[in-house]
Amino acid sequence: MRLVVLAAAAGLFAATLGAGAGATEASTRIPLPFTTDPYPSTYQPLPRNDTLIQGATVLDGLGHRMDSADVLVRNGKIVAVGQGLSAGGAKVINAKGRWVTPGIIDVHSHDGVFPLPYTSGDMDSSDVAEISDPNAADTWIEHAVNAQDPAFVAALRSGVTTLQILPGSTPLFSGRSVIVKPVPVADVRAMKFPGAGQGLKMACGENPKSYFGEKGRAPNSRQGEIALVRAAFLQAQEYLQGWRDYESGARPAPPARDLKLDTLAAVLTGDIPVHMHCYRAGDMTTMMGVAAEFGFRIRAFHHATEAYKIVPQLKAAGTCVAVWSDWWGFKMELEDAIRENAAIVDAAGGCVMMHSDSATVGQRLTIEAAKAAAVGKRAGLKLPPEHIISWVTSIPARALGLGDRIGAIGTGRNADLVIWSGDPFSVYTHADQVFIDGALAYDRSNPRSSPGPDLLLGQP
Amino acid sequence: MKPWLQLMALGCLVAGHHAAAATVAITHAKAWTMTSAEPVDNATVVIADGKITSVVSGGAAPAGARVIDAKGRPVTPGLFHAATHLGLLEVSSATETVDSGIKSGSLGAAFDVQYAINANSTLIQLARADGVSRAITYPIHSGVAPFSGSGALLRLAQSSDLLDRTHIGVFAVIGGRSGGDAGGSRAAQWELLRSSLDAAKTGLAAAASPATRTPEFVALEPVLAGKVPLAISVNRESDILQAIRLAHDYSLKVVIVGGIEAWRAAEALAAAKIPVILDPQANLPTGFDELGARLDNAALLHRAGVTIATVVVAGGIHQSYNAGLSMREGAGLAVANGLPYIEGLKSITSVPAEIWGVADRCGTIAPGRDADLVIWDADPLEPATLPVTVLIAGKEMSLVTHQTELRDRYMPKAGLEVRVHKP
Repeated sequence: MRLVVLAAAAGLFAATLGAGAGATEASTRIPLPFTTDPYPSTYQPLPRNDTLIQGATVLDGLGHRMDSADVLVRNGKIVAVGQGLSAGGAKVINAKGRWVTPGIIDVHSHDGVFPLPYTSGDMDSSDVAEISDPNAADTWIEHAVNAQDPAFVAALRSGVTTLQILPGSTPLFSGRSVIVKPVPVADVRAMKFPGAGQGLKMACGENPKSYFGEKGRAPNSRQGEIALVRAAFLQAQEYLQGWRDYESGARPAPPARDLKLDTLAAVLTGDIPVHMHCYRAGDMTTMMGVAAEFGFRIRAFHHATEAYKIVPQLKAAGTCVAVWSDWWGFKMELEDAIRENAAIVDAAGGCVMMHSDSATVGQRLTIEAAKAAAVGKRAGLKLPPEHIISWVTSIPARALGLGDRIGAIGTGRNADLVIWSGDPFSVYTHADQVFIDGALAYDRSNPRSSPGPDLLLGQP
Repeated sequence: MKPWLQLMALGCLVAGHHAAAATVAITHAKAWTMTSAEPVDNATVVIADGKITSVVSGGAAPAGARVIDAKGRPVTPGLFHAATHLGLLEVSSATETVDSGIKSGSLGAAFDVQYAINANSTLIQLARADGVSRAITYPIHSGVAPFSGSGALLRLAQSSDLLDRTHIGVFAVIGGRSGGDAGGSRAAQWELLRSSLDAAKTGLAAAASPATRTPEFVALEPVLAGKVPLAISVNRESDILQAIRLAHDYSLKVVIVGGIEAWRAAEALAAAKIPVILDPQANLPTGFDELGARLDNAALLHRAGVTIATVVVAGGIHQSYNAGLSMREGAGLAVANGLPYIEGLKSITSVPAEIWGVADRCGTIAPGRDADLVIWDADPLEPATLPVTVLIAGKEMSLVTHQTELRDRYMPKAGLEVRVHKP
């Protein structure tokens, strides 16, 4: 039923959304403002050559492993994968004995907004989230991202080619996310993944209630959080109806723009997917209930340390989880975090991916996957490299709505690739070469290939 | 059976059981003894009464010994965590479960974590199951300059008493955001540290009256005597150099904890024989004290002749919550960035034992050492490797934890399969 409602909503708006993907020319009045991007990407691919990577062990991100395989890249796209490919003028890289995977995708990063070095000024007023109100749905994290955060350089050099920068989880509605490429530029617009949509970060559980509760404000309980979330979506429904009436001609003037309701209305129409910070099983099922009540789907729970307890419910809702391998215990809602979380969700047919939430962990997402798989294997599950690479490539790509462009090595995909010195799930392995849109963005054998952050210029 | 016969039979049984349990032989081990750069292949490690009695390639298991076949797998000494808060916290957001430091009061160096150790902590249970047999648990930065307090050495056996040695060292934090407690400058932190040591010297002098032996001075006595380390958490090069000067001026045994810019002072540290307990993951300029962070810190220090142990902090999450798993990952990362493999292994076993003055008892696989041993299913420095068997004092430890119990409760029983993802 919920799906029908969604489909109807999508149908209604696909015809009228001026700037939305798949829009038609049928727009007769001003476009709905929810999903238009007033700050479009200015990203330009780095200088690039056509490239043939030869003789590698290729994990395609979609479950396949090919030994002694070649990958041919032209004009920033993967044009062929196979054996004995002809270079046809492309620069040849011998990758014999090395491994090639899609570029690593981190769906949960605060790089650029927990800027390094983190100073006392940031402690007083951190850009990671606007925390003056539990509803910060009007904030866009891209307006805070420092493109020169050294964390982006570290991410790139570890094989990360796409990151979703999320606001922090203090507000219930934490703000809109932005998807970026860790390229060496001066401003965030030049990092923005062209055409990628935004997400809405939401948070449940201990963080919002403890922060606002201590300030004597709402919410100060889990039920208070849910009440505020429902009230906000009720308002958004009205707001959306106002726009629908305007679109149909039933009202002469559009509703007054409200930036918070813009975001929530776009969630209701399905244009902005929800990425929600939740740990406890009950918090997640409650939030899935709220989503069902208002006719939207939660794209992914992040952290989701108790996902292993509720896999059938997650599957039924079509909701993924983005998890760590082993963080636990530091808050009450993490008491039941287990290392087998990812493996169990995966084995039971759920959708799972690794995430970092940390500029340090974000440099080792394949190791996160390796650790999560190791305990799964101990529990009797079969989790080969060609499978678990999907936890950091194709599955996060789909969670970001970019599954047709990145996260896999296949014809027509963006040439976001990593050549690893060996098995990417070994601690001894380095990212030797990292390609973004076919451009060699980092080459471990050539330090000049990847400029360090501005911050460190002139440092001894 | 008459009661006295029953008792006698029981006595025999117990004695017999004890004898059998007391002698253990691990066979077919790839034994990384830490006394040599290479492992002893096909080693038989014999254990009697909780101590290692022999390590011999192809050696025979003594008659009647309980045999554990390592099947060619790596065997290392039990992991030795060089700097953690294990036993002092359970849920860090639930402050009543946290005893790792003081924000006020006059205890100073006399604040002694030994009185707070919770042997039933689930963090300790997990660390043990992850192969940690010994750990230095130390106080976090206090609100009162210059000292955090005194640390203790824990032995993580299944026991209600984990204290192995108290007063293992006195801890202090200098620089970064810690300067506030000294009025806002790290200069004041160093001055307070020096004046505290001066005062303790005077107060402890033979001529002084017993009344001047304050708890803080008593805590500093072994530090001033050079018997136990003063462990100073510092990251910036200037502070590392100050620590070296302090060690020289007071003839102290100083240990650097953190040492993110220690590579800049590698020669001076080597000359002063000051060891560094560092986090091999720390490669980001997290603050202005850490601008020089780099992944090959461990390798550069080792090359210069500095003794290094490794632990992973990760904002405190790994330092205590994943103490065992993270320290192996950290050591592996140090090796990936240039530290020789054997030094990576030693940085989490024998070197911490040396730094903390107990190398005569643990940290190596050698006759006379405690039989704290781990059999691993693969290379112990790979994060995906898991312990197969953990022995402490020759006894096999349970690998059951809160987490494994949850896993077993919630693991779907049927219908599990690996899915191949369709494009």
